[in-house]
Amino acid sequence: MVFLMMYGLVASAVRERSDSWLVGESETLRQVALTTPKDALYGRIVGEVAELATQEFAFDGSGKHSAGNTVFFFENGESGEPPLWVGPSQNQALIDAVQKLRIHERSAVSVTVPGWKLPFRVVAADLGPGMGRIYLGLQDTSARSMLTQLLLWFVLGWICMVAFGFVIAVLSMRGTLKRVDAITSAAANIGTADLSSRVASADKPNDEINRLARTFNTMLDRISASVNQLQTLTDSVAHDMKSPITSVRGRLEAALSTDDMNLSRELVAGAIESLDRLSEIVTTSLDVAEAEAGALRLRREPSDLADLIHRVAELYAPAFNERHQTLTTLAGKPVQAMVDQRFIVRLLSNLLENELRYAGDGAQIMVILTETEGKAQIRVRDDGPGFPPNLLSHVFQRFAKGDKSEGHGLGLAFVRAVALAHGGRAWVRNLDAPGGAEIVIEFPTFTADQMSFPPQAESLDPSRVPGVTQPNNDVIVTSS
Amino acid sequence: MRLLVVEDDHTIRDFLSRALTEAGFLVDACAQGAQAERLALEGVHDAMVIDLTLPDMDGLDLIHRLRAQGVGAPVLILSARRSVDERVLGLDRGGDDYLTKPFAVAEVLARIRALLRRSTPNQPEATRLRVADLELDLIRREAHRGGTELQLTQQEFALLEYLCRNAGRVVTRSMVLDHVWKMRFDTSTNIVDVHIHRLRNKVDRDSDKPLIRTMRGVGYVLKD
Repeated sequence: MVFLMMYGLVASAVRERSDSWLVGESETLRQVALTTPKDALYGRIVGEVAELATQEFAFDGSGKHSAGNTVFFFENGESGEPPLWVGPSQNQALIDAVQKLRIHERSAVSVTVPGWKLPFRVVAADLGPGMGRIYLGLQDTSARSMLTQLLLWFVLGWICMVAFGFVIAVLSMRGTLKRVDAITSAAANIGTADLSSRVASADKPNDEINRLARTFNTMLDRISASVNQLQTLTDSVAHDMKSPITSVRGRLEAALSTDDMNLSRELVAGAIESLDRLSEIVTTSLDVAEAEAGALRLRREPSDLADLIHRVAELYAPAFNERHQTLTTLAGKPVQAMVDQRFIVRLLSNLLENELRYAGDGAQIMVILTETEGKAQIRVRDDGPGFPPNLLSHVFQRFAKGDKSEGHGLGLAFVRAVALAHGGRAWVRNLDAPGGAEIVIEFPTFTADQMSFPPQAESLDPSRVPGVTQPNNDVIVTSS
Repeated sequence: MRLLVVEDDHTIRDFLSRALTEAGFLVDACAQGAQAERLALEGVHDAMVIDLTLPDMDGLDLIHRLRAQGVGAPVLILSARRSVDERVLGLDRGGDDYLTKPFAVAEVLARIRALLRRSTPNQPEATRLRVADLELDLIRREAHRGGTELQLTQQEFALLEYLCRNAGRVVTRSMVLDHVWKMRFDTSTNIVDVHIHRLRNKVDRDSDKPLIRTMRGVGYVLKD
C-alpha cells in the first residue's frame, strides 16, 4: 500500500513537472507566434523556436539524446494552410489525433495515439481569433522509465525487506527453538538416575526462554533436593529397618533350632521387641512424612497445654528420678490452644525422652510454659552437654542423630512436624552459660474466633505454616 | 461367647482365631464380606472383629449394612488405615472400638472383653479387689500385701488396680498407658517399665511369691 501510494505521488509529481513545462513552453511559443509577422519566415522562426524548445526536453542534462523522449509542436492555421509541424516525421497520426481533441487552454490532457506506445501529454494555446491554435505535445519516456524503474526498485526493496524479515524471523526462531530444544533435551535426560543435568541459562536477557530455563532449573534443583532427601531417607530407613528385620529373623531362626524351651521363648520375645521398634519407626516416619507434606489429619480440641504438660511430666517423673535428674515444670497458668492432644502428648513425651537420654545423669531439666501475644511457648531446657555442634543445624531432620544416639532419629523430626501441623514452629539452641540445650515449641493459642469452630479434623495447608517452605529457618544457632 | 472374625489376610485370621479360641471363645472366621454378612445375620455372635480391607466390600460398608439390618453385636474394627478421620468414621458407622495394625493379640483380647462387658448389663462395681494375698480397697485407695499396707502413690495405685482388674491376663504397655494415664500412643518408651519396676519394688520385694510378671515382648501380667 505504502509503495503504491509513494508510486502514485512520484508519478503525479513527474507529470506535473512535465505539464508545467508544457504550459510554460506553449505560452512562450504563443508569444513568439503572435509577435512574429506572418510572412515567409514565420514558419521557420516559429519552427526553430519550437525546435529549440523540443530539444530542451529531448536531451537529458548530459547532452545525450534520450531516445524515448518525443516532443512535437504543431500549429494549425484557420486558413487551411498546411500546418506547421515540428517533431517526429511519422506525424499524420499525431496530427489527426490532436486535431480531434477539444483541449482547453493551459491544461494538459493525455492523448493516446495509434502507433505510439505511450500517451502524449498535450497542451493547447490559442493564437487569437482566426489565427488558429498551437499544440505542444510531450511523450515523457524518460520520466516514464524513471517511474518504472522506481516501481522496480520499490518492488525489489519490498521483496528484499520481506526476504530479510523472513531470514531474521527464521534465524531468531531457530535460536529460540534451539534454546527450547536444549530445555527439551535436558528434560529428556532426566527421569533416569541422573538429575544433575541443567539447562544453560543466563540472567540477561530476561526473556521468556531464559525465565523458562531458570524456572526449569529451579524445579530441577528442588526435585533433586527432594530426591537426595529421599535417598538419605531411604538409606536411613533401610538401615534402621533392616537391622531389626535381621535381628528378628536371626532370633526366630535360633528359636527354631534350639530345643531349650526357655531360650526359645527368650528369643521369640526379643524378636517381638524388635518388631515393636520396627513398627514404631514405620508409624512415626509416616506421621512425620504426612506432617511435612501437610497431610497430617488432626483432631483438634480446646486443650490446656499446662494440664498436658503436668500429665506427661507426672508420667515421666519416676524415670527422671532414676537418673538422678530433676524435672521442674513451670506451667502454673492454664494456656488454652486448639490442638490434637494425642500428638501433643507424644511431642512432650519425645522431648522428655530426649532429655532422659542425652541430658546426662544429674541434669536439671526445666519445662516452661509461657503465653505471650496469642502464642504459647513450651521451652524444654537442660544444663547438659548441649547439642553436638555438627547436629545443631539439622536436629529436626528425619534420621538426624548424634554419634552417641541410640534412637532412630525421628523424635525431634516428629516434634517439629507436630508443631508445624498445628501452625506453630520449633527451634533449638545451645545455651551459652552455664551451657545446655533448649528446645522451643511455639503454638498459636486459643482465640475467640477459634472458639466458635466446632472441633474437627482439619488438614494442614503447608502454605499457611511458617517454616515449611524454608525448613531451616527455625533453627537458631547461638552457641559460639 | 461366640465371636465372628472377618479378616481377609489368612495369617492374621488364623492366629486371631487360634488366640481367641484359646481364650475360651467360640470363633467363626471368614474372609469375604458377603459371607460375613450371612453369618452375622444369624444373630448368634456376641461380638465381631472386622477388618476394613475386604476383597469384596469395604469393612465400613459391611458394618453399616449389619447395623441397618439390626445386628447389634459390638464391633472391634481392625485396620492398617491410621488416620484419625477414619477412626472417627469407623466409630460413626457403627464400630465400637478401633485397633490399628500391627497390634498385640493381648490387646485384641482385652478390647473384646471390654466390648462384651459394655454390652452386658452393668454388674455392681467391686469395691475390693483381691489377688492371692494382695488386697486393694478401691474406696479408701489402700493396698495391702499379706496384711501389710503398701505405701503407694496415686499413680502406683492406679497401675496396680489396672493389673488386678486384669489379673491373669497379659496387658501391653500401650494398654497401660491408655488406661492408667489416658494417653494413647505407641512408643518404644520404657516409661511403663519404670513404673512397673517401682511398683514391683513395693509389691513384691518382701514376698517370696512375686505377683507382677513381665511377659517379655508383650507386656505384664499379675497372677499368683
